[in-house]
Amino acid sequence: MEAPPVSVMPVTGGAINMMEYLLQGSVLDQSLESLLHRLRGLCDDMEPESFADHELVYLLRGQQGNPFILRARRSLLQPTSPWHLRYLGQPEVGDKSRHALVRNCVDVAASHSLPDFLNEMGFRMDHEFAAKGHVFRKGQMKIVVSKLSRVLVPGNLENTEPLSLSYLVELSVLAPAGQDTVSEDMKSFAEQLKPLVHLEKIDPKRLM
Amino acid sequence: MGVTCVCQVPVAEGKSVQQTVDMLHKKLEQLGGVKQGNFWVDCETYHATANATGQQSKQLYVMHNSEAPLSCMALYEGGPHLTADANFDVLMVKLKSHFQNAKSHKVESRGARYRYCDFLVKVGTIAMSSSAKGISVEVEYCACVIPADCLNLIKEFMQSFLGSNAPEMPSNKTEGQLYTPVDCVDPMSQYLELFGKVRKQQVMTGSGVR
Amino acid sequence: MADVMNVGVNLEAFSQAINAIQALRSSVTRVFDSLKDGMKNKETLEGREKVFMTDFQDNLQSVNRDLNELERLSTLVGRPSESHPLHNSGLLSLDPVQDKTPLYSQLLQAYKWSNKLQYHAGLASSLLNQQSLKRSANQMGTSAKRRPKVQPSTLVLPTQYVDDVISRIGRMFPDMSIELFRPNGTSAVLLVTLGKVLKAIVVMRSLFIDRTIVRGFHENLYMEDGKLDIWSKSNYQVFQKVTDHATTALLHYQLPQMPDVVVRSFMTWLRSYIKLFQTPCQRCGKYLQDGLPPTWRDFRTLEAFHDTCRQ
Repeated sequence: MEAPPVSVMPVTGGAINMMEYLLQGSVLDQSLESLLHRLRGLCDDMEPESFADHELVYLLRGQQGNPFILRARRSLLQPTSPWHLRYLGQPEVGDKSRHALVRNCVDVAASHSLPDFLNEMGFRMDHEFAAKGHVFRKGQMKIVVSKLSRVLVPGNLENTEPLSLSYLVELSVLAPAGQDTVSEDMKSFAEQLKPLVHLEKIDPKRLM
Repeated sequence: MGVTCVCQVPVAEGKSVQQTVDMLHKKLEQLGGVKQGNFWVDCETYHATANATGQQSKQLYVMHNSEAPLSCMALYEGGPHLTADANFDVLMVKLKSHFQNAKSHKVESRGARYRYCDFLVKVGTIAMSSSAKGISVEVEYCACVIPADCLNLIKEFMQSFLGSNAPEMPSNKTEGQLYTPVDCVDPMSQYLELFGKVRKQQVMTGSGVR
Repeated sequence: MADVMNVGVNLEAFSQAINAIQALRSSVTRVFDSLKDGMKNKETLEGREKVFMTDFQDNLQSVNRDLNELERLSTLVGRPSESHPLHNSGLLSLDPVQDKTPLYSQLLQAYKWSNKLQYHAGLASSLLNQQSLKRSANQMGTSAKRRPKVQPSTLVLPTQYVDDVISRIGRMFPDMSIELFRPNGTSAVLLVTLGKVLKAIVVMRSLFIDRTIVRGFHENLYMEDGKLDIWSKSNYQVFQKVTDHATTALLHYQLPQMPDVVVRSFMTWLRSYIKLFQTPCQRCGKYLQDGLPPTWRDFRTLEAFHDTCRQ
């Protein structure tokens, strides 16, 4: 399971509009150790947490418009902990003054009946993958270094195949809308990771 | 987490909802019950706006309970249910193009919470769009987790302060449910059933009881 | 005070021995005195040495003589302390200031009492053994026949034996699961799960039940550090009441000679709670009284009663 969002906001009824600020990059398998070494030095003094998650991406198609996407994650290491359901809004990349990609984000912890319930709501599983890696923290920033693997047989997490020869590196902050100053911190942190990894704001649309 | 029984208590003849509730409070206090704060249970209804498969869409209910103030429970009548944290409400807002909140259908029950030995009794006023529609009584026997074990005991207790208004039990339990430990879903589905009943009474009587 | 008399036979020897000790001490003192003074002033060096040597020899010979005398006397005195029935504490009787510290007489008193207590306890135990499983029976005490003393050997039993007894009892009752822990040393702690009704923690000392606590089926049994919580009581009044009754049962089922029978009887009694919430009171026919189900189970018939409905 992903580490909980660092900024814990008292959400009552959940009226608070949380945004995720995100920078992404990747590092080849050979360079992983030196990156982890650097991160251990830079990040808050804590044991880096390892995780192994299974993520299922669900789509709900309406009559018109884009499908609604929800991501459900469960931890393979701690099967009793709750599922993590995540909604991510449309990314905003245009604004040059902001140094990170910004998108709306809703995190929900949910019981294990989540897949059944999403099916009942009309969601259909689109694809699934496994993510294994490490989580670091620095202040309210979260750094996730993970290896993504394809699930070869649906539902069978024993049998996976790595998607690439590199690790995905994500630097993210969860903050209420309008706190653009966090992207400054993220930029300076990303600078310190160069040249091991170049973290950039990547527009997912460009990749499609 | 014990065995729970939720039922509706008819408004006493010639009395208002509030007067009947006061009467119940008095009876509980005479019995030796001690008031322990308040409670609330609410239920929102969502309709799926458009279904790709075109089948008859079921209603999705999202409920909250003051016993678990940071959680919410989403359930389909007779279908699967989901326990989630309060952010699920935010998610439903994001989903508004697919699921529409029927604001007028929001039902809630609020009232006082009494403790008597190992019993927890909640007497609530059921309200739809802020007008009182009826009285709910929830009795939880906290010391036991198997419904079949303590049904008679709860029944006897309810008769002791509801008299002839005590409901017949069990109303909605299958054999399997009777002999397995209860979970937190059970009281909520009972409230859902009760709210559904109140809503139907509302439709039938038109203006409804005061 | 007969011991003092025994010593009195040798009193003569004692006083002689004390005199001999005094003589020995004075002769030893003389040796060191002469050594300390050194050689006396005489004309010639030779004369000085001669006189000193003879003095020293005389002194040593008198020491030797006194020592021999003392050794001779000491065989007459003997060794009274070894054979004393109270061992070293018997020497307290030799304390001359007895009026100020009457330790010896108090000691004898205490010893007498403890002897008496042990004897009476032995009698009581053998009398109680005749009452099958009933400790609080009224008809007893008439037979004043003296019975042989009973050694409390059942306090020390091999752990393997305890394990066997417990697992045998566990197999007797399919709806009751008994887990055995030994959190501290050899004393066992049993975790009894009765159906889906209750859980009881039974603290054992050897095969004797020391303490029991009953909690609800869904209540927490472990402390924050993961250890079995054998102290805190249940949150529910009904189980607090059952705990009280279980403690009563522990006092009721007593059979010091056959502790395994006691454990089995207690477990049989505890098992009658499987229908704690389902059985109405055998006297008033109701389920509830003051908000509690019938929490009392008769020790013999195992019938359910409210606490206030039992005879």
